[in-house]
Amino acid sequence: MTAPALEAAGLSVRYGGNLAIDDVDVVVPAGKMVGMVGANGAGKSTLINALAGWSRGTPVVRGTVRLAGQPMEALPPYRRAERGLVLVPEGKGIFADLTVTENLALVKPPSDTTGRHVFTMGDIYGLFPRLAERRGHKGGMLSGGERQMVAVSRALRAAPKVLLLDEPSAGLAPRLVYELLATMRKLVDRGLSLLLVEQNVRATLELVDELYLLERGKIVARGPAAAMKDDPRILDAYLGTLTA
Amino acid sequence: MNLVQQLINGLVLGSGYALIAIGWTLLLGAARLVNFAHGQLYMLGAFAAWAAMDRLGVSYFLAVPIAVFVLGVLGVLLQLMMLRPVMQQNLTSLMIVTLGFGYVFQGGAARIFGGNPQTFVSPLQSANIRFGEIWFTWQDVVTLVGTLLLFAVLWLVLNRTRTGALVRSVAEDPKLAQLFGINASLVYVGVFVFECAAVALGAGLVAPRSPILASMGFDEVILTFVVVVLGGIGSVGGSLLAGFGLGMFTALFGALVSPAYTTAAAFLLLLAVLLMRPRGLAAR
Amino acid sequence: MKKFATPAALLIAALAYFVPALSGGAPVVYAACTAIAILAVMSYGADLILSYLGEVSLGHTIFWAAGGYAASLLAVNAGWNGWQTAGAAIVVAVVLAGVLGLATLRTREFVFSLVTYAAAVVAMEVTFNWSFLGGSDGVVGVPPLELTIFGKGINGAGDAALWPVAWGLLMLTLLFIQRFRHSRLGTSALMVQMNPDLAQALGVDARAVRFLVFVASAPISALAGWLYAYQRAYVGPDMFESYFLVLMLTAIVIVGRRLLLGPLIGTSLIIVQQTFFSIGGDGDKIVLGAVLAGILLLWPRGLIGLWDALAVSRRSSRPRPSEPTRS
Repeated sequence: MTAPALEAAGLSVRYGGNLAIDDVDVVVPAGKMVGMVGANGAGKSTLINALAGWSRGTPVVRGTVRLAGQPMEALPPYRRAERGLVLVPEGKGIFADLTVTENLALVKPPSDTTGRHVFTMGDIYGLFPRLAERRGHKGGMLSGGERQMVAVSRALRAAPKVLLLDEPSAGLAPRLVYELLATMRKLVDRGLSLLLVEQNVRATLELVDELYLLERGKIVARGPAAAMKDDPRILDAYLGTLTA
Repeated sequence: MNLVQQLINGLVLGSGYALIAIGWTLLLGAARLVNFAHGQLYMLGAFAAWAAMDRLGVSYFLAVPIAVFVLGVLGVLLQLMMLRPVMQQNLTSLMIVTLGFGYVFQGGAARIFGGNPQTFVSPLQSANIRFGEIWFTWQDVVTLVGTLLLFAVLWLVLNRTRTGALVRSVAEDPKLAQLFGINASLVYVGVFVFECAAVALGAGLVAPRSPILASMGFDEVILTFVVVVLGGIGSVGGSLLAGFGLGMFTALFGALVSPAYTTAAAFLLLLAVLLMRPRGLAAR
Repeated sequence: MKKFATPAALLIAALAYFVPALSGGAPVVYAACTAIAILAVMSYGADLILSYLGEVSLGHTIFWAAGGYAASLLAVNAGWNGWQTAGAAIVVAVVLAGVLGLATLRTREFVFSLVTYAAAVVAMEVTFNWSFLGGSDGVVGVPPLELTIFGKGINGAGDAALWPVAWGLLMLTLLFIQRFRHSRLGTSALMVQMNPDLAQALGVDARAVRFLVFVASAPISALAGWLYAYQRAYVGPDMFESYFLVLMLTAIVIVGRRLLLGPLIGTSLIIVQQTFFSIGGDGDKIVLGAVLAGILLLWPRGLIGLWDALAVSRRSSRPRPSEPTRS
């Protein structure tokens, strides 16, 4: 038996008196792409940040997070990143004062690569040729799409076991979103495990293997993507209005 | 007044100001940490070197590295204590905390080293170089060269190495840095150790000019503030220029107006700049 | 409950007046109580800035010294009585605070602290070198405080004689702070500190509020300095010493910010330690500095925060939740 790539159980996140995430279980099987969708404010970012042990605020997190069976919950975020649980946060994901090369060189690829998905700089520039042209530019001078590419590339340089992607589509043109997500799918097909948080339910359903629906801090539905396409809750809330 | 002599004095004074300020510049730029114990760290650096010479009998050239090492170790301890507010970027608390540390150092130094002035002698201080009416000491030469070297090294490390990129990334966004697998606390400790070690080096080179006292350090803090703010907060090149500018200003003001009011005049300069540019001359 | 608050406060205030007499009336007790009252008033000046504006003023020793120097110079050279010197102390402090307040109007956070700190060091330098202010010797031979209405009142020197004045000044200060907390200016200041966007949306002029609070705080510290001059019968550049600055800040943070009685209790703790449990001047420095740094590092909200933390841990013996953001 093998443990799933990522398994969180009984996860709760509290901000002050507010329970933002309430007793949530998440499983990302190895080599699969799992989508997490939900309305604005449902707690998607809070949840994915909690998996990485990271936050811009000071939440109190309970529950267990296991990366390939290894407990993560006691580790600070930089240690989780070192172990291969790598988050690309929503919004600002790179340093504006550093060049593309410097941003990517901040990450130290691990020496022990068992179970890790290693990406050389050559691989990265192969995936995102645009970055090779812009390598001397500072982060602050890049377009939104290029920044997102750097942010994802940085995560790949860390040789992730599990990649956590928080709304990579935010602020990007639809074509760029499609390209980026298609690239992600390609990486998953080569064995990477990925948890994707998205607003765009339609695009997510096309790509992921499994889908979770989060509402007010709770998982209200989960299942294989094909089945979830026909789930009345998804249809009503997200696809129905659009297809009608 | 001999103008050339005053310009040389200004250059020497300025290199001292810049040297004493270099650690603080980096600290403020990288950790946004305002260290009000800076002047007392300068005092401790001077006394550490003096004690090494007076109590251990080592030469000046060994005493200064010893002081740099001792202050570096002290820096580790201090930063470890301040880690939580630094990570939370609770700047108000940190300012007051460093003020408290400074006061502890002042009391502690008076207890250990006594309340009387001591002479911290550098053999280079009495080695003069004369060109007609113009003269300076080998200590001046070493201070100037040392300052330029240290600034050059710091600039190169910050802008051309991975270590420098680490410091700049933490300066920009310590939370984000953690997602890059960077232990921001460790970077903060490193920066603070540099601040303490650099100010000890500054004290080792500058303090032999006058008697040292456990209660000294206030003028150094003010002059450092002026250098850092004039140079643009966190700007390495800016603070070197500001240091020399302030040195020239002090030398000429001292010679032409009154040496007793030089700190006051430097402060008025600072106020004038702040009225126009509240975040400093080269602020982003 | 609420309707007893005012009588209860008055009763406690009246009882406070008899503390030195009830504690045996020894000279050292009067000295300590007078010193506590004076230094607490001094701290309340800085408290207005730290607690309600959220900024760290390191320049309040200027106002403290200004009050002392105004009193001494006018009492010694012009023979002014206590009312007149007190008025002069207030005027001088307001003028100085106005200038410094205007100069720092656009500065925030550490730049504000840095400028006020630099101003204090420069003021000390000027005082030290300017013969008009007595230079390094200061002003000696301050006459006894003459504070009378229609021929009745205080005319004296020494701690026991000055205690009623110190007590009265402390009570006036507490009353002022209490009124300030509920005033428009006080609530605006808190709003500017806590939620600047909201304050702006409600039409609060943050700069005006900061300036007014700064100017209002100066006379408080100045009046403390005024009485200090009479208590010591002498003022000197040592009024700028970092002792007073560190004492102010420690007194404010030790119990907890934004508490009416915080600075008074804090000052009492410090002065009691230094009077009755002193370990020498330099040792006391170490204690004071370590308390200041230690409180903020261990219980940033002051001893009140420690109290809350203990209460919480007593209420629940559950294991601490993991906090992954800490590293």
